[in-house]
Amino acid sequence: MGFSSMDDFVNKVTNLNQFYRADWNKNALPTTTQVAGEWYCLFMGSGNPSAGVFASGTNLSFQSLCDQLSGGIQHGGNVFPATKHILNASAFSAGATSMPAVLMLVDLLGYYPMTTVTTVGNQRMFNSAAFTVANSILTSSTYDIAPYSTVQFSNSGGTLPSPLMTDTNYYTLRSGSGATWTNFIYDSLSGAIAGSSPTSFGSGAIIMTTSGTGTNIIQCVLPRYSNGTGVQCFVTPATVMGAATPSISITYTNASGTSLKVTPPILPVGKTAAPVGHIAYSGVAAAGKYGPFMPLSARDTGIRSLQSGSLSVSWASGQLAFVLCKPLLTLPMTTIGVAAERDLMNQLPSLPQIKDGACLAWLIYAGANTPVNTAFYGHLDFGWG
Amino acid sequence: MPGFTSISNIADSDTEGKTLYASWRKSPTQTTARGFWFDLSMSPGNPPPQYYAASPGVSVAMAQSTDGGIYHGKPITPSTLYLRKMLGITATATVVPCSMILCDYLLYYPFIDESSTDPQPLTTNVTLPRYADGKGVQIMAVVVAGQTGGVTFSVNYTNSDGISDRTSATVTLCTQAAVGTIATTAPATAGCNGPFIPLAKGDTGVRSIESITMNSADVGLLTLVLVKPLAQFSIRGIDAPVELDYFLNCGGTLPVIQDDAFLMFLCSPGGTIAGSSIMGVAEFAWR
Repeated sequence: MGFSSMDDFVNKVTNLNQFYRADWNKNALPTTTQVAGEWYCLFMGSGNPSAGVFASGTNLSFQSLCDQLSGGIQHGGNVFPATKHILNASAFSAGATSMPAVLMLVDLLGYYPMTTVTTVGNQRMFNSAAFTVANSILTSSTYDIAPYSTVQFSNSGGTLPSPLMTDTNYYTLRSGSGATWTNFIYDSLSGAIAGSSPTSFGSGAIIMTTSGTGTNIIQCVLPRYSNGTGVQCFVTPATVMGAATPSISITYTNASGTSLKVTPPILPVGKTAAPVGHIAYSGVAAAGKYGPFMPLSARDTGIRSLQSGSLSVSWASGQLAFVLCKPLLTLPMTTIGVAAERDLMNQLPSLPQIKDGACLAWLIYAGANTPVNTAFYGHLDFGWG
Repeated sequence: MPGFTSISNIADSDTEGKTLYASWRKSPTQTTARGFWFDLSMSPGNPPPQYYAASPGVSVAMAQSTDGGIYHGKPITPSTLYLRKMLGITATATVVPCSMILCDYLLYYPFIDESSTDPQPLTTNVTLPRYADGKGVQIMAVVVAGQTGGVTFSVNYTNSDGISDRTSATVTLCTQAAVGTIATTAPATAGCNGPFIPLAKGDTGVRSIESITMNSADVGLLTLVLVKPLAQFSIRGIDAPVELDYFLNCGGTLPVIQDDAFLMFLCSPGGTIAGSSIMGVAEFAWR
């Protein structure tokens, strides 16, 4: 699928209405002025769409993100087997001292929350947990799995509940009102979205006829870009951090499937009292300042999962999120009030692809000290074929 | 088969004379400031203004044939009409830089009282005249009698899947009281979340609005307008008009204009637009 020719494009986008326009408006985070030379994630800022969340879920366990949750820019819904692409992008701000700036559109894949920021050294990140099954409801006592997560199953010492299979993608939906530890399982994302939680399975749910034997394991995998190619990690406070400037490092499985890869020296250094949404190690003119992404080992091109996160010294307080994302588009803005505009068909032929379920959000590089709540407005055009 | 199915169809529309050239010129009188969005439909000029004048809280559908807007010809179904090109210019320095969004204005709920903190039910006795399922339809709150600002409100609506009682984000009234201001915009104010009111998570459009709730009292009146954003452009300076071909310069998109659409602009000027003229040309093509 996709566009096979310009004629095909014209027909699908202008005639068959395979097109969606999203007008968005995100405000700079409300508590602390954006500092020139530093990066921020606007996902948690107010605006349109409303603020997203990096602060829920089991500590250190992967929380999947998608367009059905708060905070992601809508892009026209699921279109598989067609492929969806960005056709146009624009953005501007009329806020005082908001320019220059660079916006980067990313697909947020998920995050590992870290509440234990006073702990020094490696902290293991979790992508999987044991579970039990009763009445086709899956329960894990150690892993609060986000709704609409992509998961796979395995078993140690026995057999999986029937009809679950290994090496197969399934999708979750929380099964009870407020119950964060139990899930229905579906064979498609659309089935999970259409599911009837909290009171019934809904069509498309997996009806499990056995409970399995041995130890059943559920593993959250990347919801999109499953092999991790091009997937990057950034670290941002989900609540304001206390005092400290720890070095931050991760171990990860790279896009080739090699585990325990490490952050190379010189390690990123966190900012004392980093505010919510700040890319914690971004900044200028100092060793250990990077932005927006954590550096990877030589020749690594992406991240499939994290195994651990580490702080070299205790952060006095706060909560971090280690976020996995796929960068899609950059949009430099030069002048207050003047819209940056990109035609990705004719001007910069690239047509970045948007996967079904993508959780689209903006990172921003502040070129000037930018006041709190400064509004950034723009639009995105999507077409599919 | 109607509509453009190939590039040659687009070229053929020119040679076959299936095009329309429409000039427009708005001369707003209201004093505005940088960072606030403004609805040009109530401003004098060509096309003439409309004033959202109807019974309070009762829906009114909008159309070219009854309300005006930028002229785009008579209904041409079963053919499809497209916006092909746009030109915009102003000679007034305080207007620029100015971003503009072309919208199809669909329906409005006039004269909503900002002093009442009770949920105010709105009456929907007409359906959307275009985009009937509500996909991509957005809500904008337009100042029709000036407010103080700073208070918050939310709306309950039916989304484009037909699900009622959806609740928008809570948004904040801005302090710019000029009639025509989009009341939820400001350069840097918490809760001023842009020209369109944020919808509940996962929602992509609106069919109707059931009620509005002011969380504290203000003075002034709002009109809630359902619009379909179609296209945009920016006038960067007074020394050059902006010229766009929506096929060549905007990702190959050619915004579809539905029969009897009411077309007008929102703008975000660099300063005051009082006493200015913002003018241009819209070119349409069809097959």
